[in-house]
Amino acid sequence: MTAPALDAPVGVDLRAPVARANPVAKLAVASLVAFALLLTVDPVTAGAALGLELLALPWCGVGPRGLLRRGWVLLAGAVPAGVATALLGVDAGAVLVGAGPVTVTEGSLQAGVAISLRVLAIGLPGVVLLATTDPTDLADALAQRLRLPHRFVLSALAAMRLFGVLAEEWQALTAARRARGLGDGGPVGRVRDAVARVFALLVLALRRATVLATTMESRGFGAVTHRTWARPSRFGPADAVVVAGGVAIAAAATAAGVAAGTWELLLA
Amino acid sequence: MSTTDPRSNLPARDPRVVAATGAAAALGLAVYLVGLPASVSLFGTPLADLTLPAALFVAFAGTALAAAVLTRTTWRVVDLVVASVLGVAGGLLFAVWNVAVWPAASGALAFYPPASAVLVGVWLLPAVLGGLVVRKPGAAVYTELVAATISAFIGNQWGFATVWYGLVEGLGAEFVLAVLLYRRFGLGAAIGAGLGAGVAVGLMDSLIYYPTFSAGYKIVYVALAMLSGAVIAGVGSAYLTKALARTGALAPLASGRTAERV
Amino acid sequence: MADPRTEPVAVRARARAWGWRHSARKAWAVRGVDLDVAPGERVLLLGPSGSGKSTLLAGLAGLLDPGTGPDDGTGDEEGALLLDGVPARTARVDGVRAGQARSGLLLQDPLAQTVLARCGDDVAFGLENHAVPPGRIWERVDTALAGVAFPYGRGHLTSRLSGGERQRLALAGVLALRPGLLLLDEPTAMLDPDGAVLLRETVTAVLAATGATCVLVEHRVGPWLDLVDRVVVLEPGGGVVADGTPDDVLRARGAALAAAGVWVPGHLPVAGRLAPAKIRTDRPDPGSAPGTGSTTADHGAGDVLLEARGVAVRRPGRAVSAVADVDLDLHAGRTTCVVGPNGAGKSSLALALAGLVAPAAGTVTARGRLADGVRSPHPAAWRPRELVRRIGTVFQEPQHQFVAATAADELAVGPRRTGVPEAETARRVDELLTRLRLGHLARANPFTLSGGEQRRLSVATVLATRPGLLVLDEPTFGQDSRTWAELVDLLADLVAGGTGVVAVTHDERLVEALADDVLRLAQGRPAPVPVGAA
Repeated sequence: MTAPALDAPVGVDLRAPVARANPVAKLAVASLVAFALLLTVDPVTAGAALGLELLALPWCGVGPRGLLRRGWVLLAGAVPAGVATALLGVDAGAVLVGAGPVTVTEGSLQAGVAISLRVLAIGLPGVVLLATTDPTDLADALAQRLRLPHRFVLSALAAMRLFGVLAEEWQALTAARRARGLGDGGPVGRVRDAVARVFALLVLALRRATVLATTMESRGFGAVTHRTWARPSRFGPADAVVVAGGVAIAAAATAAGVAAGTWELLLA
Repeated sequence: MSTTDPRSNLPARDPRVVAATGAAAALGLAVYLVGLPASVSLFGTPLADLTLPAALFVAFAGTALAAAVLTRTTWRVVDLVVASVLGVAGGLLFAVWNVAVWPAASGALAFYPPASAVLVGVWLLPAVLGGLVVRKPGAAVYTELVAATISAFIGNQWGFATVWYGLVEGLGAEFVLAVLLYRRFGLGAAIGAGLGAGVAVGLMDSLIYYPTFSAGYKIVYVALAMLSGAVIAGVGSAYLTKALARTGALAPLASGRTAERV
Repeated sequence: MADPRTEPVAVRARARAWGWRHSARKAWAVRGVDLDVAPGERVLLLGPSGSGKSTLLAGLAGLLDPGTGPDDGTGDEEGALLLDGVPARTARVDGVRAGQARSGLLLQDPLAQTVLARCGDDVAFGLENHAVPPGRIWERVDTALAGVAFPYGRGHLTSRLSGGERQRLALAGVLALRPGLLLLDEPTAMLDPDGAVLLRETVTAVLAATGATCVLVEHRVGPWLDLVDRVVVLEPGGGVVADGTPDDVLRARGAALAAAGVWVPGHLPVAGRLAPAKIRTDRPDPGSAPGTGSTTADHGAGDVLLEARGVAVRRPGRAVSAVADVDLDLHAGRTTCVVGPNGAGKSSLALALAGLVAPAAGTVTARGRLADGVRSPHPAAWRPRELVRRIGTVFQEPQHQFVAATAADELAVGPRRTGVPEAETARRVDELLTRLRLGHLARANPFTLSGGEQRRLSVATVLATRPGLLVLDEPTFGQDSRTWAELVDLLADLVAGGTGVVAVTHDERLVEALADDVLRLAQGRPAPVPVGAA
C-alpha cells in the first residue's frame, strides 16, 4: 500500500543515460517492444529482444539488486505461464512427456518457452521505466510532451499521492476492527474482514477526494484550459537516441525471428 | 428542479441523437450488405461469417460515439478526482490480486485451460465502477486506464502490456454505457458494461496470451470472461456503488444524489 | 497572463439575500444572508453546526455552481454573492485568467489539502493553473513558503510533514496566488495545540503583511479574538442574526452560542455532574477511594486492571521504538491521562495498552477481573472477541471504528460478537442510543453523521460490550463544547461506576476535569511530573 518512492530506490542509479531520459522516451521504448512482441509467439523473437534488453541494462541504471527488487514479479508470472502452456497448450510434434491429457510435445514446449520469454521481454522495459521514473515527472511528460489532457493526468497524480497517506489509515483500520471484536472468524472471516476494511478505506479515500477536489479547484485547477508548467518536460536529442534504441531492439528481434523462420503473425 | 430526472444527461428524443442513431444504423446496414472478405480468417473462422456481428457492432459503436460526443456534460473537478481515486484504488486491488490471488487461483483452474477466464472480472471492476459512480462519458475508460497504469507502476507479471489491456477493457465497458446514452446506471447497465468489458478482455486474451488455444477453447474463454465480467464487475460494481452512496461518500456526484433526497 | 502586481488588493465581499441548496437536499444549507465585508476587514463567522458557514465560504470562494443544465450543477442558488461587484464564481474564473486569485480558501483537513508529492510543486500547482509564466513561478513559491515560515525546502516530500506543517504548506499554496480575500474554514480544528498556535501566528502575520480581507469560521473563538474586528452569527435557515464587534456580539449571544457548542470565552463548558475536587483528591489507599456511594466499592474501584512494565512500542515498519520504558498501573474507577507533545509516542502506547499491538519490549498484563476467563494475561494475545469484552478502545478518528450500515447495527456488533442474547443486545442498543442522544439517528449510516454525532456513536459502540477498561485516543479532539461536556460527564459516570479509563490527550481541560493520574511522555520516554500538576 505504499506509493512509489521518490528517492532513488535501492540498486537504481538515476544518473544513467536511459534513467535520465524523458519518461515519454522510456514509455515509447516499452510500447515499441511490447507491440513487436505481442504480434507473435516465438522463442527466437522474444529471446532476441530479451537478450538485447539485458545488454542495454548497464546504460539504464538498474543494477542486479534493483532488477531483482522490481522484476521478481515478472519471473513469478513468466515461469508459470510458460509451464502451463507447455503442459496444456495445443500439442504439436513429437510427444516428449505424456500422462493422460497433460502432454508436453515439441510444439507445446516451444510455445511454453516462447510465452515465458515474451512475458520477460515485454516486462523488462517496463521495470526500467518504472524503477527510474518519478511519478510527477511522468505526469509532467505525459501532459506536456504527449499532450494528454492535463486535467486527467494531474488528477490521477493527486489521487496517487492521496493513497500514500492512506497507508497509515489502513493500519488504524486494522487495529480498530480488532478493537471492535472483529477479525477472528477463521479464513472466511479474515477475507470478509479484509473486504470490509477495503470498503472502509475506499469510503475514507472518497471523502478525502471530495475535499481534495475543492482544494484543487480553489487553486484554479480545471477552470480554464490553459496552464503553465513550473518544471518544463524537455525532449532532447538524447531522448531521441533512447527511442531509436527501442526501435532497434524491436526491429532486430523481429528480424531474428523472421530469419529463423519462427516468426508468425498471430492474428492471421 | 424536482422535475428533472437526475439520471439523464441527454434527452433520448433529442433530434441529434435520433439522427446519429439513424446514421449509425445505416452504416451498419451498409457493412451487412457489402459483407466482410472471406479470404481472411480469425480463430479459423472466415471473416465473412462474422458479417452480421460486425454490422451490429458498427451500428452500436456509431450510436455510442454519437452519445459520447453529444453528451456535452463536462467533467467537474470532483468527477476527475473521484474517478482518479477509484482508479488508484483499482490499481492497488490489482497489485494484491496479481500477486496474492491470481497465480494460485489460475493454477487451481488449470485442469481446464479456459476456466481461468472466470477470474478476469476482477480486472474489470474499476471500469464498471468508474462508469457507474462518475456517470460521465469516458469515466469507465479513464478509471480502468488509471488502475492499469498504477498496477503496471507497482509492477506485475504483464509489465507495460497492462496499460493497453486497461484501455481496451475500459472501452468495452464504456461502449455499453454509451449505447445506453449515459442515461442508465442501474443493475442492468452495470451487467451490460461488465459484459462489454468481458468481451474485450476475452478477445484480447485469446488473441495475445492464449494464441495456442484451440478455437473451441477460445470461444469458451470469451464466454466465461463475459460471465465473469457481468457477475464480478457488473453486479459487484452495482452493489458497491449502492453501498458507497449509502455512506454519503458520493454526495457531490450524480450517483450519490439519486440515492435519496434527504 | 500573469498580473505584474505584487501585492494583493483587498476585496470587498457582499451577500444579497443569498442562499444555497445542495442537490438532492430538501432544506437550504444557508438562506437569506445579507452581509457586507469591507476591504481589509477580518470577520469571524459563528453559528451552530448546520447554519451554513462552510457553504457561505465555499460560495465566496466561487466554488458553488448552480450549473446551466439540468444536471451539471451542484445545487440551487438564490440572491447574489459578489466580490468587488462581480459574482463570486465569475470572479474566480476571471482570477484564473488574470493570473491572480481573487480569493483563497483553506480547509480543515490537512491530509486532503496536499495536492502533490513535493512541497515546492504543491505550492507551484496553483500558480501553474493561473498560467503564471514559468520564469516567475519559483520566486513566488519561495516567497510564499517564507511567508508561512515553512521549515523545509521545495524538494521536501509532503508525505513527511506533520498536520501543522501540511496546513502551513496549504496556506502557502493559497498565498502564492496573492488572494485579496482569505477564507479560512476551521483551519486549526485538526491540529494539535502547538500546530494551532503556529498557524494562528502565521495567519496573523500574513494578514498584517498583505492587508487582505479575511472571513474565518472557527468553533474555538478565544484564540482568534485578537485577530478579528467583527463577528457575524448565522442561524440555520435564518441568515445573519448578529453582526458587530466581537465584544458586543459575544456579550449578547455568547450564552446561546455556547449552548450550541461554540467555545465562547466566559461560557466554557462545565462538566455538569462532575465535581473535580471529589475525584481529584489524592487517594493514598485505592481501596478506600471516595466515590459516588456504594456502587464504587461494589465495582472494586482501585483494583489494578492493567499493569505495564518496561513497555516499548514500535510502529510497523519502523526500526526505532515510538515509546519505551513505560511503567504504568491502570486502576478500576480511576482515570489516567497520558499527555505530551506530538511524536512523544502517546498513541503508540495506547495501542499497546489496548491490546491492539504487542509491545516490542516489556509486558502489558491484565489483572483481577480483567484477566478472568482468558488463558493469557496479555491483551495483545487475546482473540478479538475476548478483547472487546474487557478493553474498549475509542480512536481519534471515529470513522476508523465504523463497521456497520446503520448506527443501531453499529452498537449491536460488539454484543453479538460476544454472544450476548439478542433481546439483551436490543435493550443495550436502545439504552445507549437514548443516553447519547442518537435515538433519531438509529437507522442513519454512521459515515453520514456529523462530527459530534460520530464521536458519540464511537464511544457508545465501545460501551455496548461493557468493558472494564476504556482506552481513549484524543477523545475530545475537534469536538464542539457541547459534545465535550457530554463526553466528560459520561466518562466521569463510568469511572464512578468502577470502569478504569486511560486517555491519551492534548486537551488540558480534559486532564483537569478527569485525571486522577497523569503520565507525561516526552520523546518516547516517561517524563517525571508532579502528581496533580497537570
